[in-house]
Amino acid sequence: MKINKSLAEEILKIRESTLPTRRHSRKVTHWKEDHRLRSGKGEALVFILPTKGCSWALAKSGGCSICGYIYDNPQESDFDMMVSSIKNSLRRTIEEGKYSIKLFTSGSFLDEKELPIEIQASIIQEIAKFEQIEEVVLESRPEYITDKILQNLAKHIEISKIEIAIGLESANNGILKNSINKGFFWEDFEKSVKRVLSSGAKVKTYLLFKPPFVSEYDSIKDILQSVSKVVSIGIDTVSINAMSIHRGTLLSEVYEQKLYRSPWLWSLLTICKEIKQKYPKIRIICDIVAGGKERGAHNCGECDEVIIRKIKKFTITQNLDELEDEEGCSCKEEWKSFLISEKINISDYVYVPYLE
Amino acid sequence: MRSFQPFSQQGFARILAETRTHYPLSPGLISIEQLKSIEGYSAFFNFPFPPSYSNIETNEYFLEWILPEKKKEKALAKSFTLSNQPFYPSYMSNEISSEDFTEYAKTFSSLPEQHKQIFTLPLSWIDSPIVEEVIKTDVSLIALTGLPSLFNNQRKLTEALVLIRTKLPPDIAIYLPGHISPELYTFLVYAGIDFFDNSIAYFTSKRGYFLTSKGTFSLQNHPSCYCKDCMSSPPNIFGHNETVLKNTLAEIRFALNSGTFRSLVEQDIHNSITFAAALRQFDRNYSSAFRLRTPVLSSAPIKCVGEESLFRPEIVEFRERVKKRFIPDSNCRIVILLPCSARKPYSFSRSHMLFRKAVKEGVGKLRGIISELIITSPLAVVPRELENIYPAKSYDIPVAGQWNNEEIEVTTSLLLEILSKYSSEIVIINHTHGEGYNDIVENIKNKISSRIISTSQESSPTSNESLSKLTSTLKEIVSDSQNTQIQGIPTVLKQLRAVADYQYGNGVGKTLFNGTIKIKGKYPRDRQIFRNKEHIANIRSKDGFLTIQPQSAQEIVDLSYTNLEFGDERVSGSNIYAPGCLKADKRIHPNDDILVVFNNQVIATGTAVVSGEDMNKMTSGILAGVRKKYKVKI
Repeated sequence: MKINKSLAEEILKIRESTLPTRRHSRKVTHWKEDHRLRSGKGEALVFILPTKGCSWALAKSGGCSICGYIYDNPQESDFDMMVSSIKNSLRRTIEEGKYSIKLFTSGSFLDEKELPIEIQASIIQEIAKFEQIEEVVLESRPEYITDKILQNLAKHIEISKIEIAIGLESANNGILKNSINKGFFWEDFEKSVKRVLSSGAKVKTYLLFKPPFVSEYDSIKDILQSVSKVVSIGIDTVSINAMSIHRGTLLSEVYEQKLYRSPWLWSLLTICKEIKQKYPKIRIICDIVAGGKERGAHNCGECDEVIIRKIKKFTITQNLDELEDEEGCSCKEEWKSFLISEKINISDYVYVPYLE
Repeated sequence: MRSFQPFSQQGFARILAETRTHYPLSPGLISIEQLKSIEGYSAFFNFPFPPSYSNIETNEYFLEWILPEKKKEKALAKSFTLSNQPFYPSYMSNEISSEDFTEYAKTFSSLPEQHKQIFTLPLSWIDSPIVEEVIKTDVSLIALTGLPSLFNNQRKLTEALVLIRTKLPPDIAIYLPGHISPELYTFLVYAGIDFFDNSIAYFTSKRGYFLTSKGTFSLQNHPSCYCKDCMSSPPNIFGHNETVLKNTLAEIRFALNSGTFRSLVEQDIHNSITFAAALRQFDRNYSSAFRLRTPVLSSAPIKCVGEESLFRPEIVEFRERVKKRFIPDSNCRIVILLPCSARKPYSFSRSHMLFRKAVKEGVGKLRGIISELIITSPLAVVPRELENIYPAKSYDIPVAGQWNNEEIEVTTSLLLEILSKYSSEIVIINHTHGEGYNDIVENIKNKISSRIISTSQESSPTSNESLSKLTSTLKEIVSDSQNTQIQGIPTVLKQLRAVADYQYGNGVGKTLFNGTIKIKGKYPRDRQIFRNKEHIANIRSKDGFLTIQPQSAQEIVDLSYTNLEFGDERVSGSNIYAPGCLKADKRIHPNDDILVVFNNQVIATGTAVVSGEDMNKMTSGILAGVRKKYKVKI
């Protein structure tokens, strides 16, 4: 399959006008949060590594229609500072208990152009020194997951601790091609997953809820279908990412033209329930970015917090009871009508001329 | 030209075939979901909700029609399937890329028949040849997207609306999905939209908006409402808003049925500046498209309240027909211009009775040489012969005695057209009084050579002074020797001929009404016209028009503008359906009396349901009702 050229052109136009404005922070950011490990509740230490950013986003194809992370990456990185800063943070933060380390670059950790292979190795070596760390999560696009890279990782750490998170977004090639401009397809993903799993490492998959040009109704269906497909090739962790609208993206322009509404929290609730009921053993992670805000998943404004709290709790406990909503908000009716009318009519639904 | 096919062979079920004529359903409201009380809706969407693993394989989304029991048996389909919406991106703005749209249309065309009923059409693609292909398939309902973004641009809006209805065949219903507020319904229905949905009720109710048919208000400050939903505690705002939508459409359907829809439109457009401007655009720039679809034969009262009335389709049509079809008697020597009266027909008014008396005194037995033209707004000029027909007999206007420039201009030009049909030797008597009338007469003075005598210059036309001046002036003219020889034809005959021409086309009157004509019967019953003792036609009391007997209609078949060529030698049943029609005269208006013709033989008379243009475009549905059949021996 090939990418959709006209879509790529549109994205590139926006990228080229926004990229020069990007910030130059070269510091490693990190924070600690509650996390659901495979073995149960624990904590996660998240590192944001200031690499030069995702090669796909910088490529002539413009990158993904929905992603604006690239604007937070510096144009060049200082790798020595990066490694030493990780080393210090680990030493200061890791205490008793179970830990998961997440290494995010806003690109691919395993991309040698982003992070040279020896730097990858030294970061992993530092982490391997701590017994409490049970999981190391790396993000990567499938094309960088080669046998060579995997062997390199295995040299420095017990490979079963490694979890490679791949942003598949959707198992539907049509959506990957025409809506996200992801640059790879289901088949590429499948190959990489097999490679990772046979090496002994684990895979986590990101699925994107409500990419542009797909109605919310269809997107719920797409998530459910994608989960089934992903589970069938042996993946046990699925992260459902509700769309949040980044500035400087195609999605943002569509949104500004009132042709897109970020997803409803009701939909997320439905999705989590549905997947957990069907696949009780799968770990479902649903971190809501910009929840309750106009540019993130939101409901009417009154019930947002309650629902976000429920979903957060569910992510930690994986207990379906957390998702029960006895009282329900009156906006649930509007949600229903929105989904159906949006499905019938994908361009007019947010636009209410007389209320402008 | 289509070939004749039996109804059953016409593709898959189009229950909406008669969109606008199918009143139980259209124009109507579609519900987003199956509500507990579904009354007042035309249809509802039946989707599995929410999407779940148990229904994930379902790719069929139904639009279920709510049919009355009687129709249910006959309807070939009780529901439509929304084709699985193919991937449908709009990369930038509302423009959908050609690739994507072509792909969608292709997928749509390849669907099985029963899935090809609802097509989603983005407005920007309406002109595309792809759409032309699609409408040739069995699509019954078009969900039109992209229109609401034009709601604040009247020029683009009118262009789009006219394009929509000229491009899409009349038997395809148009559904405008999304949040359309109810005060806009009237205008949009007038422009050809058939269906709306209740999504706005869901949207507004939660956000604190209160809908009324006159506009949208906030919940904190709105006109009181005493409906059941508002009176319950707490008030059921959704229920109220939903009821407003239903009631607005019910009002529209009622007006459509009783022929007063245009008056309703003129009232309701005042809710929106854009739409008020858009209606004027329609009337001035696209008048022919609307005129053709407006009944000319009607009995509904016309209230000419607003400025819009001057270019109302039926009124413009009247002026056009008077211009093209009215032929004055060649014996006419004197034309009298008279003012209009509030009472219709004019002859029944006090003022016109006085005029008649004065004229009679003036000309005596020579009435035949006189032609009377009534000057009025907004009809401009009504020849006396046509005063008994719609719309001359049923319009009403708030008289303030002032004419605006446009009225004067329109009236002058029609008056000139009519006067040019008389011989140049006629004398014109201007028996009108007042500024507007004066301006009109001044305007024509320079453009015609005939002599104009004013008889009511100083005082009102009904004053003794003016009336006696009218009488004396007439006496003077008549006394000229050359006029005494002329007999002229009786007024009744003139009237019949003029009405026949107006209704059926030029020359019909003379063909039909010659020889000994007698009229029997008394108002309020329809009067019967006998020619040489043969019953040839009726005058309908309801609207003043003629019903011609089928055997007599044969005489005018070559002249008539209202012929429908039928595909068989015999009409069965009481309706004529689209597949039976080979060709219809484009000049047919809805409600017109038509002649059903086979091989140049009139086989029946009928009443048109849709316009001739639409008859030619429709592939199914009722075109006309049959009034009387005539068995032809071939």
